[in-house]
Amino acid sequence: MRRHLMLRGGAFPLGVLLLLILAPSIAPHSPTDFNPASILQEPGADFLFGTDEYGRDVLSRILHGVRPTLFLALACAGLGVALGAPTGLLAGYAGGRVDEALMRAMDVLMSFPALILAMLIVVMLGPNTINVIVAIGVVFWPRSARLIRSVTQDLARREFVDAARARGEPVLSILLREILPNIAGIVIVDFTLRVAAAILLTASLSYLGIGVKPPTPAWGLMVKEGQQFLQIAPWLVIFPCLAIGIVSVGTVLTGDRLRRAAALAEGRAR
Amino acid sequence: MSGAPLLAIEGLTLRYGRGPGSLRAVHDVSLSIAPGEAYGLIGESGSGKSSIAFAVVDHLRGGAVEAGRILLHGRDLLRLPPAERAGLRGRQVAMVYQDPHSALNPAIPVGEQIAEAVRRHEGASRRAAAARAVELLGRVHLPEPAGMARRYPHQLSGGQQQRIVIAMALACRPALLIMDEPTTGLDVTTEAVILDLIAELRRAFGVAILFISHNLGVVAQVCDRVGVLYAGAMMEQGDTATILRQPRNPYTRGLLNAIPRRGEGHRRLAAMPGGLPDLTTAIAGCVFAPRCGLAREACTTAAPALVPVGPAHQSRCHFPAESLPPAPPMAEGAAPAAAAAAPLLRLEGVRKTFAQPGGWPFARRRLLAAVDGVSLEVAAGETLAIVGESGSGKSTLARCVVGLTAPSAGRVTLDGVPLGGLAEARPQSARRQLQVVFQNPEASLNPAQTVAEILARPLRLYGLCTAAEVPVRVAALLAAVQLGGRFAGRRPRQLSGGEKQRLCIARAFAAAPRLVVCDEPTSALDISVQAALLNELLDLQQAHGTAYLFISHDLGVVRHVAHRIAVMYLGLVVETGPAEAVFAPPHHPYTEALVSALPAIEHEPGRPRIRLAGAMPDPASPPRGCVFHPRCPRKLGPVCETEAPPLRQVSARHTLQCHIPLADLAAMQAA
Repeated sequence: MRRHLMLRGGAFPLGVLLLLILAPSIAPHSPTDFNPASILQEPGADFLFGTDEYGRDVLSRILHGVRPTLFLALACAGLGVALGAPTGLLAGYAGGRVDEALMRAMDVLMSFPALILAMLIVVMLGPNTINVIVAIGVVFWPRSARLIRSVTQDLARREFVDAARARGEPVLSILLREILPNIAGIVIVDFTLRVAAAILLTASLSYLGIGVKPPTPAWGLMVKEGQQFLQIAPWLVIFPCLAIGIVSVGTVLTGDRLRRAAALAEGRAR
Repeated sequence: MSGAPLLAIEGLTLRYGRGPGSLRAVHDVSLSIAPGEAYGLIGESGSGKSSIAFAVVDHLRGGAVEAGRILLHGRDLLRLPPAERAGLRGRQVAMVYQDPHSALNPAIPVGEQIAEAVRRHEGASRRAAAARAVELLGRVHLPEPAGMARRYPHQLSGGQQQRIVIAMALACRPALLIMDEPTTGLDVTTEAVILDLIAELRRAFGVAILFISHNLGVVAQVCDRVGVLYAGAMMEQGDTATILRQPRNPYTRGLLNAIPRRGEGHRRLAAMPGGLPDLTTAIAGCVFAPRCGLAREACTTAAPALVPVGPAHQSRCHFPAESLPPAPPMAEGAAPAAAAAAPLLRLEGVRKTFAQPGGWPFARRRLLAAVDGVSLEVAAGETLAIVGESGSGKSTLARCVVGLTAPSAGRVTLDGVPLGGLAEARPQSARRQLQVVFQNPEASLNPAQTVAEILARPLRLYGLCTAAEVPVRVAALLAAVQLGGRFAGRRPRQLSGGEKQRLCIARAFAAAPRLVVCDEPTSALDISVQAALLNELLDLQQAHGTAYLFISHDLGVVRHVAHRIAVMYLGLVVETGPAEAVFAPPHHPYTEALVSALPAIEHEPGRPRIRLAGAMPDPASPPRGCVFHPRCPRKLGPVCETEAPPLRQVSARHTLQCHIPLADLAAMQAA
């Protein structure tokens, strides 16, 4: 059972990678071309997931959507961890006033609900892909910083860090050489969890109409557009939602697998 | 019922895990304990001693009994229905664990915890159980039992907590008490008092004891008979006195030789090379053969049997009649630089206070002086040991010296040059000259780095050699601490405790330091490993002329390595002097208690035992007058409570702080 789960965890990233490369070539139809002859078709032999109000094939749109959806999420998570990890490292290691100042600033960011903060930033900066990445990166910043800070605090109390301080290592060297390698696993897991969250957040932003713009086949956008036909063509919403769910869960499983693989490698080396 | 053993373990074999890779923790161990008898089970970590205890109380986690019987009152526990077996626990057999802190529920008053055990096992009423709890608290000599019963565990000291655990174990008048390292986490003076209590309660309750310990001295104090375990096998068994005076097994002899003893100064300890064999593979010969000085062909092919070597005395050895060569004598170290020479390291009135938040919001913060004005000197090539119990401030002092905390007042000078408080503020050369070895080798090595990286770092940081020379220097450093070049690519988690600490020492010496601060460097290690490590420290000192500031709570260890000793109590140095002088009267009453608390292997009849009452006071509100007066067995009177004691000069380099005149002190302590 356990092995089974692990296998699926491993198969997932491979599957996604394959889709990233092959999506355009295996998609049965164009994701953007209008096709007035087959508007709002139910899922069937021709159109596996049905078609939308312009006659575009939902399956093709979802397949083409893997790339923008995932790239966007990776960028958001990457920025969040890139901001959060140094903040958490510094706050956790330095402690005292530095910690206090950094973490209170993080608390201010945390006090906004995630979606509202992201909306605020996008609306202020203007809705385009770069600003969506910035907004969600900022949303993730304090969350990542908190996690990294707490594990750093644990490590900073260990005597090998004391030994490095007594030896006269500069702060940067202590952070990068002594602490970072020991929390790399946690940073990676944090990153994968953020990817999952970013997929949902970008979808939410698209749904609210302030994320990526049509006709990009981003999944959140598809949900938003399909919503008005919910009564007559529920497949327009159901399939993109399923895609979002599967990729989110898959990313979480992958993160979990990475964490377990790291723990296993440690155990084997014993 | 007389003559029949209370507990008989017959041919017990325990295994953890299944199939290949499973670990045979205990192999064919037999022992019996008569009613009221105290039996000591001695072994180093991994010897299987705790597994045996867990098998008796049915607490083997992941382990299984492969063969053998455990008979209590003649009934095989392993074949009893589980319900009946659980009933026996607590009523017939009670267990005391090493860590009293985790054995007590922090959310329930201690009296209630004892009463609960009484209620469960004896069906006593609430009121009767509570009364019994208070009575038991009196029996373990806790002051004001009724008030004590209402306290929570965190309000008690470690020694008091262990008394509570013992009272709880005795609550149902068990026939057998199993104690697993009951004093290991305690200070030496507390340990001595608890051991006295155990001996007293054993007589009063007539309870039999299975006493598990790694410390021969402790076992000698409590037990009638002793069994020595090694790698899951019973190596030797007999009367305590016989085992200690005429051990017949090479392992027991090695263990005894490895213990630093009172009455022997700078002697090289007889260390056992190597470590525990791999118990996951079948061992054809004697389990101890790879480390044994007597081992020969036969030892590696055939396992010896446990054979009688005297009345009630058995040893597992092919050659029980032979004896080991005596330990090579310690070459007398080069005399440390004459006192006239300027000291290498000097501490002047070093004080370190911590602010402790008051009990209420906005209450005034209390100042806690962990180190309260300490002045000491260390000469080049000399070992100054700082001795004291937990809370004496010795580790804080060590951290001030290496610059991990800044002293609140006072100066640290190296070669007469004042050093900045924190390491960051010190010149690189000063940091290079002052290195540190911590207590816990587990935590002081970066798990993400390899051995070679760990050793190369100081070489590169201080620019001690060119990049091309680094591998050569690393290999030389490893060789200097008896680790081979094959260790270079390993990571810390692949090393044993002793190997890790060797690596820490090598890392310190990589910087070519002039002084190494050793903060309890061997207290996390087994005795046989400790001996080897102390020897290496002595060798390195001779080879490089390095000075040591050696922090320890163990006077036995200190006796071996120190030229001079400073005794600390509650942030103050109460006595300093040459090692031999500090050990002999006249010395400070606190030093006297520490020396007296050393578990003695040899009985020294006529020597009065000094026991300290109570625990160390809260450093945030130290006693007025002499800080030691509330616990001092030699207290003079009111003067001790009001005036700070004068500094008395015993000899040119030996001073102590006490109100008692030296002549009186000498007379009292000679008696």
